[in-house]
Amino acid sequence: MNTGGIILVVGSLLGATSAFIWLALKLSRASTVPPRTLSSQPKPTDTIASLAKEDVEHIFNNEFREELRNRGRLHFEKIIGENAMFLQQDLRETTTQLNEYMRAEITRTLQEEFKKYQQSITDAKQLAIDSIEKTITTIEQQRQLLETQMQTQAEAQKAELLARFEKAMASIINHYVVQAIGSQIDISDQLEFILAELENNKQAIIEDIRRGT
Amino acid sequence: MALSKLPLTLISQTEVTHLIRELAGLEDNAIAATVSAKNVPSITKLLAEVAVANGLDINDKTNRQTLKAQLTELQKSAPLIHISFASEPSQLVLEKIIAWLRTNIHAQLLLQVGLEPGIAAGCVLRTPNHVFDMSLRPYLEKQKSYLQRLIQGAIGG
Repeated sequence: MNTGGIILVVGSLLGATSAFIWLALKLSRASTVPPRTLSSQPKPTDTIASLAKEDVEHIFNNEFREELRNRGRLHFEKIIGENAMFLQQDLRETTTQLNEYMRAEITRTLQEEFKKYQQSITDAKQLAIDSIEKTITTIEQQRQLLETQMQTQAEAQKAELLARFEKAMASIINHYVVQAIGSQIDISDQLEFILAELENNKQAIIEDIRRGT
Repeated sequence: MALSKLPLTLISQTEVTHLIRELAGLEDNAIAATVSAKNVPSITKLLAEVAVANGLDINDKTNRQTLKAQLTELQKSAPLIHISFASEPSQLVLEKIIAWLRTNIHAQLLLQVGLEPGIAAGCVLRTPNHVFDMSLRPYLEKQKSYLQRLIQGAIGG
């Protein structure tokens, strides 16, 4: 129910109330109008007139007035009761409509709030997913970088170990050969080699001897 | 003046020192022989060879003194070379080496022989200012790259 509906309901209630008040005022005014007297009519005689007057006074005496008043009150109460019933009914309808309206409004508001809440949850979920995806991407990049670095280091270490092994192996073999054949070759067999080496270094030896002497 | 001719058996400075000492002993014995009419003691083969090589009669006092002086001069002035072998060289080898050295380097050259088992083969020659490694060790060092290639080939399959 919108604002126009509410105004319409309230207007109808006010109209019913004003109609009820107008009716009550009219009835009370009718009860206060003086009864038509017989004196205005032509009187054949004074006795008759006085009897009539007396009769009129008898008819419109206090008891009769009280009875009329009671009847009017009853009628008034009946009308008030009927109007009260209508008013109650209208109020009930209005209350029902208001309840429905409030329920609808609350439901709508709650739905909107739930929708916003759901949207917030969805956004938060999306943010979390994005964050997780970014983290996963970063971790993957880091892993790849680390893998590359480790591979490079492993290759370098392997190459270094290999070079060290080759160098050490060459030295070991040299040492082994020297130790193995050191005491096995007769110097007499080496004489030719020694003389050849002396011949190769002859000039240097001469120069050094000259310098020394 | 030092000796003009050195026998190949005279190799080291130590032997020269021994000869000088021997000559001094001979002189003392000669003096003693004149007093007590004893015979002059026999001389070592090396001293005899030195005397023969230089045409000197060792029984003559003047020759002995001359030889002693020449040997002393030789001890002072002869160039000395240190040579090391992996094992003890024979006398024949030393003579051949000293012969080559005296022919090609210096006529009065003396050797000081040492041992260096780590050189495996060949010799190491040390002149006053230089070391000539003529052993198998530098040869093997030179071949190290070839050996490394062989090892790399063995590792690489």
